[in-house]
Formats: sequence, structure tokens, C-alpha cells
Amino acid sequence: MTAQPEPAPDPQQARGAGADGAPQPIPASPPRFVDPLETAGPVPALDDGGIVALHVHRSFGSVHAVREMTFHAKPGRVTALIGPNGAGKTTLLLMLASLLAPDAGSIRIDGADPTRDPRAVRRAMGWMPDVLGTWRSLTPLQILTTVGRLHGLSRPAARERAEELIVDARLEELAKRPSRVLSRGQQQRLGLVRALVHRPRVLLLDEPAAGLDPTSRVELRGMLRRFAAEGGTVLISSHDLSELDEMADDAVFVDRGEVVGGERLVLAQQAAREWRIRSLDPRALSYQLANIGVAFDRVRLEGEVAYVALDRDEHAAEVLRRLVGGGVPIIHFAPAVGDIERTYLGLAGGAR
Amino acid sequence: MSRWLQMLGVVIRLELAQRVRSVAWYVLLVVVALVVGGVIVVLFLSLQDFQRDLGGAIFAMTIFLVMLVTSLVTPALSGSAINGDRDAGTLASTQVTQVTATQLVLGKVIGSWIASLGFLAVCAPFMIGSAMLGGLRVEAVLVAIPIVVLEIGVVSAVGVGLSGLIRKPVLSTVVTYLVVAFFSVGTLIGFGVGMLAFQQEETRDEITWDYDDQDGSSTCRETGSTYETTVPRPDRVWLMLAANPYVIMADAIPPRLDAHGYPDDIFGQIGLGVRMAQEPPRAESCADYDDQGAWQDPLEGIYDRTAPSWFVGLGIHVLLAGAAVWGAIGAVRAPARTLAAGSRIA
Repeated sequence: MTAQPEPAPDPQQARGAGADGAPQPIPASPPRFVDPLETAGPVPALDDGGIVALHVHRSFGSVHAVREMTFHAKPGRVTALIGPNGAGKTTLLLMLASLLAPDAGSIRIDGADPTRDPRAVRRAMGWMPDVLGTWRSLTPLQILTTVGRLHGLSRPAARERAEELIVDARLEELAKRPSRVLSRGQQQRLGLVRALVHRPRVLLLDEPAAGLDPTSRVELRGMLRRFAAEGGTVLISSHDLSELDEMADDAVFVDRGEVVGGERLVLAQQAAREWRIRSLDPRALSYQLANIGVAFDRVRLEGEVAYVALDRDEHAAEVLRRLVGGGVPIIHFAPAVGDIERTYLGLAGGAR
Repeated sequence: MSRWLQMLGVVIRLELAQRVRSVAWYVLLVVVALVVGGVIVVLFLSLQDFQRDLGGAIFAMTIFLVMLVTSLVTPALSGSAINGDRDAGTLASTQVTQVTATQLVLGKVIGSWIASLGFLAVCAPFMIGSAMLGGLRVEAVLVAIPIVVLEIGVVSAVGVGLSGLIRKPVLSTVVTYLVVAFFSVGTLIGFGVGMLAFQQEETRDEITWDYDDQDGSSTCRETGSTYETTVPRPDRVWLMLAANPYVIMADAIPPRLDAHGYPDDIFGQIGLGVRMAQEPPRAESCADYDDQGAWQDPLEGIYDRTAPSWFVGLGIHVLLAGAAVWGAIGAVRAPARTLAAGSRIA
């Protein structure tokens, strides 16, 4: 069902609708002035705790994978690391994980410098890489015990911790089978608890939810929230933006090797966002949308669902008020994309 | 220190658990046992009709065969230890623990060393059996086995080292095989070529014999004239020969001398050869003969005069192995500053 041949909206009224989609006579607010100096955000100090990156740079030959990254992932919070492929996320995570030395700039993981004191960083940090390698002929129990031993636990302590984590990962039935029989999702769960063996205070996760079933995703979310609530720092890189919206407190956007900040971020956050509207009476909905003065190019109908692109949350509230006032039986009125996804799409310039 | 060793032990156990539990390892073990055992049984049966005592020859063949087989199998087990882990993504997950690069590399060397010693273990019964056939030279077996053990260790270290330095598992395995081939065959060719390359013109004094008709004795005297001759100089390239693992083995086994003072088995003869190669060419002179005109063997005392070439050769091998391991430790150390082109570290 596409645009119905409704009673045509009064052309006068449609033309009178604000360019930002807000129905008249709502006064359209002037574009927000963004002062780049004010929005640059405070430069973190190296001893702020959690994860601190200051002016980090790393190139491979002539390829500048990471040009200039400065951010702070705070203790007690889950921070999302978001950016398109090739933005330098993995390079950054490798530097944070003490595997790759930055060419310039400094990094602190829980106060320790990966270049100077990698062992302190490794004590404090649990890392789950995107391509998860497991020793295929070893069982999950052996893998976790070995990792515990490699972290310096005694044999009984490593064994005890491994059995505990096997239960956490719901791998009891597979604990004594070679890990090559594990499915992708089970491997992810094993990889996650492997990062937790030595009870780290900082977690670096690269696409942890890939291949997880819905139950495991919910568990992952709960686990990360608990970890943060106990004062841990979580940095999570993922392309599943709606997932991140639910999990993350803060977001670091990276693009072409740089952390996107200040003016560009504010502008991106102001990009139009689509709202999903459903009604018991779709015909009344599409009629009223036109009737209350929403510009037709801002409305998209997909089946019985209407998507309306609005620039400001205030406009959404006004649209909802008028639809309800117009007698449309609304049963669903929500942003079609979350805050993180909206910002990301705004940055990419691909906001629909 | 004990904590350090404990951590090393964890790495070794991890290596063994991966290698020893692979099906390929067991298959190779059986193949090696069949090949070595088969060759020895066939040799023994077909040479039985010979009149001469061939026990010594069979023993020598066995030792060399075991060396050949183990040196062919070991690179396969060690040549992709580090870059294979890189490809599988398991190296990085050990690097982010408390294990140091030294423990990681040494653990891999020792792990693949132990796994390769399995091949020596299945060959050991044949070695002991043929030693008994060869006249029970217990001391030869007691020397031969540690040398094979050491040589396997050297190949393991070179393989692990190269796997840290070279990006592709296939390439590092092939290069390890090339190193083995260089020492087994290349050193012999190099020695031969080097001898020709270094040969030199020498002017020598001519000697002649005066025969005394009265008492039938002859005395040596220099004629005063000289002659030109070209002499090879093996003493300038003998290190090549010394670095050959088979020469090391031959020289390390104490020679059993026969009634004339010459070694009576193939090991001793090879050993004598490499000792002779250390000496500059001798010009025959009257000093070689005593007052009665009897020839004095210039080889007498050669074992005391010359360097124990097995020791020199093993030294070269151990140095090379050490250099390879040292290089690999540098390559595994994290955080990495430089990366080989096209390499991924996680």
C-alpha cells in the first residue's frame, strides 16, 4: 500500500509546512549555532582511569591507520567504539591491547602504559579479538585453565576459575569436547569468558555479539552492565548499532583514523531522524499526516507503517499530539533508529 | 625463577597438547617406524650371505638413516609454530597474558623438540638392535643418541625461529628444509667447490733415494732442484665439512682403531678424513723417514693435533639455532613497533 489517493491535502497547508517537517504554526527553531571551541570536549588527563588515549597515531608504511585519536572511556561505563570499515578501530584496539606500539601519542589502560609496562596492562585488561582463535584440539575447560595458568594463576585456582566460567558461558555439556566442535556462537561465548579469566578491570571487545543467539545477546548485555556497575571499563566495537544503543552509555565515533568530535558530531546528531508510526487505522494515519501539515516528502509509507523524518524531538512530540488530537488511533510511535545509529548515519551522510 | 620455569612449562604443555594430539603426528610416527625398520631388516637379510662382518656397516647405516629421517620430519613439526599460530589467531591471545616473548618462543622450541623426539624414540630399538649386531658397541650408541637428540633440537629451534621471522607458514617450513638440506648436502658440495677454489701453486723440493748396494739400505736426500705443483687447500674450507651433521656424528663416535692404527668402521674413516682436512697440505720430505728409511706415518697423533671437528660443527649449529631463536623472540615481542609487510598480528 503506497500513498493513498486520499482527499488531497490542502495545497496551501502543505506548502506552508516548515522545511524541517514541523507542522505549522509551530515556530521553526533557527539552526543551532555550534561553537567548535565549546563542543570540542575536555581533553582527558592520562591519570583519569579507565581507558585514556591521547593523540594516538599509528601508520603502516604510507597507510595512516590511526591519525589522531583522543578519547576517554570512563570506569563504570560501557563505551561504544563506532566507525565504518577501515576507520582504524581494529588498529586502535590492538594498540590498547598492548600488541601494537603507537607511533606517537600515549595510552593508559587502568593507569598503565602499554608501551612501558605491558604486563601491568595485561593484568588489568581482558581482550576479545574479532577473529577469535582457539586451540582447536583442546577442550574449552583446558583452554580456560591454560589461559588462567598463562595469566599466572596456580593450577588449582586456574582450574576452579575455568569451571566457574564454563557455567557462565553455558558450555557445561561441551566442556570436555575438543573446541573445534563448537558453533560460532559457542566460540564467541568461550572467547568472552576467556577474556574474563583473570578478572580484568578493563574489557576490550571487538564484535562480541557476532553470531550470538538472542538469549546470549541478552546475557551479554546483562554481563557487561554488571561489569560496568562494579566499576569496570568496557570498550565495545560493533557494527550492530541498535545493539550498542541498548548497551552503551557513551559513544566514540571514529572515521578515517580520527575520532569524530565537536562540531561534526553535533551536526550529525541534528540530522533528521525517522519516526516509526503505526495505527489501528492506516488510512486515517496517512490522511491525518498530510492534514496536519507534514511535508509529503518527509513521509514514507511501507505497508501499514508510516515513517516520518523529523529534525527535532520537539517536532515529534508535536506531530504525535496533533495525530492523537486528529483522532488517529496510534499504537506505535517511536524513533526508527537509536541515538547511536542516527549519529552514525548522520556522520556517514547517508541519513535517510 | 621457578615461576618463570612454571610459565615455560605451561607453554610447553600447550604446544605438546596441540602437536602430539594431532593425527598427523601419529601417522608420521608409524611411517617412520615402518621405513627405518623395513630398511634395516632388508639390509640385514640381504647382506647376511656376505663373508665379511657387516655388523658395523649396518649399524652405521642405521644411525645415518635415523638422522636423515628425523631431520626430514622435524621441520614439518616446527616450521610453522609461530606464524601458524598467527594465522589461527591464537598467538595474540597468548601474547596478551603474562607470558614473555622468551618463554613463548622457548616453549615452542622445546615443545616441538619433544614432539620430534618421538621419532627418535620409535627408531631407538632399531639403533640398539643393529648396535648389537655390529658387535655391541655400547659407547657408540651412547654417543650417537645424544647427538641425534641435539641435532633434532637444533632443527626445531631453526624451524621455530624461522617461523617467527617469516610471514608465511609454507615458506618458513620450506626454508627450514632448505637449511637442513644445506647442512646435509650443501656443505659437502661447498667443501668440494671450496677446495678447488682455494687450490694453489706450490714450489716443492724434489727428493730422491740413494740405494746402497752394500747393505741394501736406501737413504733419502734432497736433489736441490724444485718442481711446481698445484695443491688443494681443504684446510681453508674444512669448517664446511665440520658443519655437516653426518660428519659431526662420525667424528663424535670414538674411533675404534685396528691393528695398524686405522679406524675400522665408516664413522672412524669419515672422522679421520675430516681431521686430515684440517691440516695444510704436506710436502713430502726426508723428515718423513727415519734413519732406517722406514716411513713415518704423518697421520700418527692426528687426533691430538687437530680440533675435534664434531665439537666445532655442533658449535656452529647451536650458534645458528640461538640466532634463529633470538630473532623470533624479537619478532614475537609485543607491543610491536614494526611489522613485516602484509602481516596481521591478531
